[in-house]
Amino acid sequence: MIEFDLTIPRLFSEGTGALTVQVALETGSLTALTGPSGSGKTSVLRLLAGLDKPTKGRIAVDNVTWLDTGQRIDMAPQQRSIGYVFQDSALFPNMTVRENVTYAAPVGQVDLITELVEITGIRPFADQKPARLSGGQRQRVALARALIRRPQLLLLDEPFAALDADSSQGLRAVLLDLHRRWGTTTLLVSHYDVDVRALADRVVHLQQGRIVRDTTVADLPTHSGEYIEHIRFDDLTQQWVIETAMSQFRSSNPDWQRFAVGDQIRIQ
Amino acid sequence: MPIDWEPIWLTLRLAGITTLFLLILGIPLAGWLALSRFRLKPVVEALVSLPIVLPPSVVGFYLLLAFSPTSGVGAWLLRTFDLQLVFSFQGLVVASILYSLPFMVHPVQAGLENLPVSWREASYTLGQSPIRTFWRVLLPNCKPALLTGVVLSFAHTIGEFGLVLMIGGNLPGQTRVASIAIYDEVELLHFETAHAYAALLLGLSFVILLLVYAINKRVTI
Repeated sequence: MIEFDLTIPRLFSEGTGALTVQVALETGSLTALTGPSGSGKTSVLRLLAGLDKPTKGRIAVDNVTWLDTGQRIDMAPQQRSIGYVFQDSALFPNMTVRENVTYAAPVGQVDLITELVEITGIRPFADQKPARLSGGQRQRVALARALIRRPQLLLLDEPFAALDADSSQGLRAVLLDLHRRWGTTTLLVSHYDVDVRALADRVVHLQQGRIVRDTTVADLPTHSGEYIEHIRFDDLTQQWVIETAMSQFRSSNPDWQRFAVGDQIRIQ
Repeated sequence: MPIDWEPIWLTLRLAGITTLFLLILGIPLAGWLALSRFRLKPVVEALVSLPIVLPPSVVGFYLLLAFSPTSGVGAWLLRTFDLQLVFSFQGLVVASILYSLPFMVHPVQAGLENLPVSWREASYTLGQSPIRTFWRVLLPNCKPALLTGVVLSFAHTIGEFGLVLMIGGNLPGQTRVASIAIYDEVELLHFETAHAYAALLLGLSFVILLLVYAINKRVTI
């Protein structure tokens, strides 16, 4: 069981506030953390990994305390048994794919390396540098690297964000396979309904740093009639971006500017 | 008129040794400056950068005072290591290291600061220490910056004059480097020899810079 109760001041799109989350993850579960952009999803992962420090909080993993601000316990990221897949993969460009995966491998774990390389399907490009890989290939390498130490907690920060549909599907299959084989407790941050429904068994929804829904995937609202929680125009892609509780949609259709927060939209 | 090659070799030896020491000292210092959140970091940064803004004669003057056998440091070095830094090649090396320090530290520091933070964080979440992360992940991805630091330090040491004159004087075979030899020959109205030294330095500097730019273009991480 992984339990955490974390508080940190944060700037949200609607103003300043505090990110306050209290969650208990069953060992071996795969939980999705959803919510609009800027609701604090990535911050939760960073706090769990020890990359950021909360003002107040506690993290206990199988009764081992990783963090307890009251008792001044704060394990460094290096001491926490975590695997972290970053949104940008964060592969080391000076190393080949194989070197990236084995960089942190425990000594003598040849079988584990071989197994991970096979399951994630990275063998064909194992001797290439990350710069030559596609987004989907990079994320598969990042996943293999994150799991090489057999962590107690796997943190996935929008691993599908920059992938096309085919790559996403491939990565989903790899993730599911690995989760079924190893049962690593996983916290997945994703914007995409299809990923959440395919992978997670539980969904925790954040809004402005607070948990507003904690449900099983089976109890998620259906696609028809989702409410708009956030709408913005992405200058970079020149697209309207609409976020509901479970999904993110993009379009260059100028009609989308008529939508407003709270509107119900029907998704085909 | 045949030229004396000794000042040229002495210059190259000084630049080579100085650059080697700067690599050993400058890289960890640049790493610390790039990654540390120490409150007094700006003080260290200002101290490292001082030689860029100060005239070489000012740096040379204070180093001359510090290295003098009558000063605390100079007397201690003489007593403990039998080492006299004033008017010696060793003194030139120490002075050159201090004077060229920013030319090694600044490019490497900037190179490290420009790397994505997620690389460092990924290494930490993989259980790797900051030191191993620095040597295995960060530094190898800063090759162009490192190369720039090496070349600037080497080239800067080749071109030193004021500092060398203050600390080393003009002792043939010991402290008479090429820039001093040129000044000497001009004073003696030996323009032909001065020209030979000057042309050699000019050509050498150009070739070094040309190589660096050519290599830097081809460096892939």
